[in-house]
Amino acid sequence: MSDLDRQIEQLKKCEPLKESEVKALCLKAMEILVEESNVQRVDAPVTICGDIHGQFYDMKELFKVGGDCPKTNYLFLGDFVDRGFYSVETFLLLLALKVRYPDRITLIRGNHESRQITQVYGFYDECLRKYGSVNVWRYCTDIFDYLSLSALIENRIFSVHGGLSPAISTLDQIRTIDRKQEVPHDGAMCDLLWSDPEDIVDGWGLSPRGAGFLFGGNVVTSFNHTNNLDYICRAHQLVMEGYKWMFNNQIVTVWSAPNYCYRCGNVAAILELDENLNHKFRVFEAAPHESRGAPSKKPAPDYFL
Amino acid sequence: MLSLTVQPLTVDGITPDDWDCVFYVTRGLSTIARALGEERTRKELIPFLSENNDDDDEVLLAMAEELGVFIPYVGGVDYANVLLPPLETLCTVEETCVRDKAVESLCRIGAQMKESDLVDSFVPLVKRLAAGEWFTARVSSCGLFHIAYPSAPEVMKAELRTIYSQLCQDDMPMVRRSAASNLGKFAATVESAHLKTDIMSIFEDLTQDDQDSVRLLAVEGCAALGKLLEPQDCVAHILPVIVNFSQDKSWRVRYMVANQLYELCEAVGPDPTRVDLVPAYVRLLRDNEAEVRIAAAGKVTKFCRILNPQLAIQHILPCVKELSTDSSQHVRSALASVIMGMAPVLGKDATIEQLLPIFLSLLKDEFPDVRLNIISKLDQVNQVIGIDLLSQSLLPAIVELAEDRHWRVRLAIIEYIPLLASQLGVGFFDDKLGALCMQWLEDKVYSIRDAAANNLKRLAEEFGPDWAMQHIIPQVLDMINNPHYLYRMTILHAISLLAPVMGSEITCSKLLPIAINASKDRVPNIKFNVAKVLQSLIPIVDQSVVEQTIRPCLIELSEDPDVDVRFFASQALQASDQVMMSS
Repeated sequence: MSDLDRQIEQLKKCEPLKESEVKALCLKAMEILVEESNVQRVDAPVTICGDIHGQFYDMKELFKVGGDCPKTNYLFLGDFVDRGFYSVETFLLLLALKVRYPDRITLIRGNHESRQITQVYGFYDECLRKYGSVNVWRYCTDIFDYLSLSALIENRIFSVHGGLSPAISTLDQIRTIDRKQEVPHDGAMCDLLWSDPEDIVDGWGLSPRGAGFLFGGNVVTSFNHTNNLDYICRAHQLVMEGYKWMFNNQIVTVWSAPNYCYRCGNVAAILELDENLNHKFRVFEAAPHESRGAPSKKPAPDYFL
Repeated sequence: MLSLTVQPLTVDGITPDDWDCVFYVTRGLSTIARALGEERTRKELIPFLSENNDDDDEVLLAMAEELGVFIPYVGGVDYANVLLPPLETLCTVEETCVRDKAVESLCRIGAQMKESDLVDSFVPLVKRLAAGEWFTARVSSCGLFHIAYPSAPEVMKAELRTIYSQLCQDDMPMVRRSAASNLGKFAATVESAHLKTDIMSIFEDLTQDDQDSVRLLAVEGCAALGKLLEPQDCVAHILPVIVNFSQDKSWRVRYMVANQLYELCEAVGPDPTRVDLVPAYVRLLRDNEAEVRIAAAGKVTKFCRILNPQLAIQHILPCVKELSTDSSQHVRSALASVIMGMAPVLGKDATIEQLLPIFLSLLKDEFPDVRLNIISKLDQVNQVIGIDLLSQSLLPAIVELAEDRHWRVRLAIIEYIPLLASQLGVGFFDDKLGALCMQWLEDKVYSIRDAAANNLKRLAEEFGPDWAMQHIIPQVLDMINNPHYLYRMTILHAISLLAPVMGSEITCSKLLPIAINASKDRVPNIKFNVAKVLQSLIPIVDQSVVEQTIRPCLIELSEDPDVDVRFFASQALQASDQVMMSS
């Protein structure tokens, strides 16, 4: 068994790697990711997953429903880290799988794969707590800069974390972005990771998130037409039913963090595409309590006090 | 060498705002202490730690923990008392988990200290904390009495008992809570003469505290004290308290009683349980508050085991019947998780007449956890009522659950199938369950498909290759043409599991050709799984088959454009090389 296979087994048990192993893993991942396009080509069959947000045991639940990698091919649409208790283990497992099976799993960047955001929403603190230093956070955020921005499945389904950008009308325009940087505060790269489709918007609207835009159905129609797409698959927004079609099946949101933040009560979904691009959503719930490790650093507050 | 680099870092180099560094240093305290040597650790490091009022809880927590194992670094137990001052300070901080850890470390150190040192420094420390102005010190002191008390001289012992009783009447409920939860530990060290007088009167005060959060901690004290008292004293003093608590006006206290009930029964013994605690337990089972019913329902089997069957049937079973239709799903779920265990307690007749209808209604419960809890323990019932009756009454429900929308319920059913098959026998199995087993192979959830393949293997083992040849193999092999790659993958997995059971001949004639054919699949995932399956078939088939069929296929796969296909094909080839070498 190779070191990498052993590390994958270890991460599957939710045990983090040593700092030196993380460094080595990130270096190998960088070599692979640097070769990928901003619009990474993905072959069917593939299973598409939305936000995970450090909910490690729920991601294991995802694999129980969807099948293990490499048996099943996966495309993850970003937001691996922050908010949940196990961002480190979650991201490193996905990254280790990427290094071991580059053709079986594709990871693209979400708005939380950023230095700024992770310092606010938990990944930074988690690294510090688990390693006693911020080196692992640095290695991981350096890798974030190399993650691709979008994926194109069989030239027919466009996948991105957030949505569209007023600065982008063709896939070729995305291909020309220099992505190897921290997510900027505005511009095309930012919009792809931050924007949301919105029913009431005609054309483009201001996003309440403070980054990216809201875009309406006609924007999606013309983008899909221009680029000869069947539909767009994105994540980024919590949907209680796990997935949600919009604009007459031109765009679908897939959300893969069940009971988001351990409190939202939502179910999660993954989108299974077979070799003929037939799609089936697989809906799943949060992992049952028994299959989780101890959650937090402090003992849970006394039931009564 | 090490001390040169370490020393400035510890004593001069720490600025409290450098969180990173402090954390590192705290975690590495033992390393630093080893480098400094025992004397300098005592004279420089420990005083430094005592003065260092870093306000980061994370650092303080780590320090509180480290100091608990520090005796070897300060020169052994003779010098253990130098560790007390920093821990005493930590016992007074605001963050609860730091204080708790400091108390834990003090206990650990105190347990190793010499008797004279305990009297000279540990007991005064406990008294200082107990007299602390700020409540945090007094809270911490309660957890130290059981260490201080045993070695104290008589006069001091009396004083400690008095102080403890004062803590139990402290103005701050937090202190009374701490006193209540540590009472059991303290009482265990007190001489039995004082136990009945001083401790019991302290205890009675706590049981009548006006704060329910204090009373509920006293519930735990019931069990702890009960174990220390003579049986007749226990019945006289503890039993009335339990009965009172079970009717407490606060549901949180009643919940605590329901939760601790078994321990309480153990404390008072079986006879008083039958007479006095059955009515109390019945009240808890019918409590207005769902939380209390949940806790009580979860204890029903354990409680019945203490009773005789008549009492259980007469008093408890009617409550169980009510709980099985409780409005709270969590109550029903708690009941479902233990109710199967009642079957052996009640015996066959009562199980058939009274329990079986309850099982059946819980098996159809709308809440998946309830169904799951019943199914996972079905085998406990088999043993009591026998398979005939089980198949008549439970089988329809099982068949229904085989299509449950909750996948863990389906999984529990699948895992129960081999047992059921072995008890029902072939004929019955074919009629009712055979089709289901095939259906699961095409389940939408991977874990179910995986379990379904495993199930087929176990059925083939149970009923033999001839039966499998007729009832499993053809149906399974048909499914290799499924248009979805994940379902074809399941079939490949089933083939590798079935092959060892079916033997060389059937493997070569039926299974191997399917696998070879699948190596031409257009999906790479199928191809590399073919390689894995072929590898697993090598030990089963003849060497000639490996040479003529398996290896050529693997060689072709090892030149595939896909890197994973090439990897698993060459791995299988290596395995076949090793088999050839060894034969």
